[in-house]
Amino acid sequence: MTARSAAERIRKAIALINAVEDGAGDEEITPTVIAEAIRDCLELSDVDRAPNVRRYLGEALDAVSDGMPADFVAMTLYAALGALQEGSPGA
Amino acid sequence: MRSAEGRGRTLDEAVDAALIELGESRRNVDVKVLSEGSEETVVEVTVIEAESDAVAAPADGKGEMARTLVEGLLKHMGIRAQVTTRQGSEPTTLDISGRDLGALIGWRGETLRALQSVTNVMVGRHLGEGERIIVDVERYRQRREHTVREIALRAARQVKMTGDAITLDAMQPFERRAIHLALEGDPEVTSSSIGEEPERRVVVGLRKPAAE
Repeated sequence: MTARSAAERIRKAIALINAVEDGAGDEEITPTVIAEAIRDCLELSDVDRAPNVRRYLGEALDAVSDGMPADFVAMTLYAALGALQEGSPGA
Repeated sequence: MRSAEGRGRTLDEAVDAALIELGESRRNVDVKVLSEGSEETVVEVTVIEAESDAVAAPADGKGEMARTLVEGLLKHMGIRAQVTTRQGSEPTTLDISGRDLGALIGWRGETLRALQSVTNVMVGRHLGEGERIIVDVERYRQRREHTVREIALRAARQVKMTGDAITLDAMQPFERRAIHLALEGDPEVTSSSIGEEPERRVVVGLRKPAAE
């Protein structure tokens, strides 16, 4: 797995949250689905190659469990994405 | 509302003809295709009224608070831009305008969404249940919605002509929503979404007759 696929998984989790927020009218996305997408990110070893990525993902997962607003979860995932990009070679 | 009709061999030529008549740039207009043939395309180009050119709405404290906050964030980011509250918009919408703000929009609007998330988190405790602040850069969201609506109407015309369903490119949820809304009143076509985020796509097809 590469940092790129880790970024893709984080983007997927963000896209799920955005889908709920924008109410596209064709979604059936529950907090469980979002939590699963974040857990998928945590399974990748690449998240340990850059500092703080795992921490941000863990915070995002906790936020979903705690029922925090979607914006907060999205912001934490954006932070993870940023940390991943900063820590990847050539960033 | 100013508008002009443009004719040309291609869509681009027709739009350009109307833009020259209006003396406007492409970013400030909404384009409606009136007819499209192999020899001539006719479009109606309407200037999007820039309500945000007016001063920030004096209205609600939440909007003003969010505006001040975003202004501060942009300052820290070293971006010179003007932030105004869009008048009469529900939910509260902040318009950011300035030069070279492409980086603030980011890949498929990603940076813009991140900025909106941060804004909502920071003013969240002052907002009611389900209340949100929308952040727009150079009317990106509005222009994109206009564009996808045009795409939807064009796809619908094609579907009616050929009878074949059309699968559009992967889009963001607000874009898919704009397409569903654009086609919901059409008795001949229907739209649905397939695939998983972020590759979810809208399919436009013929509406099946109701079972008797």
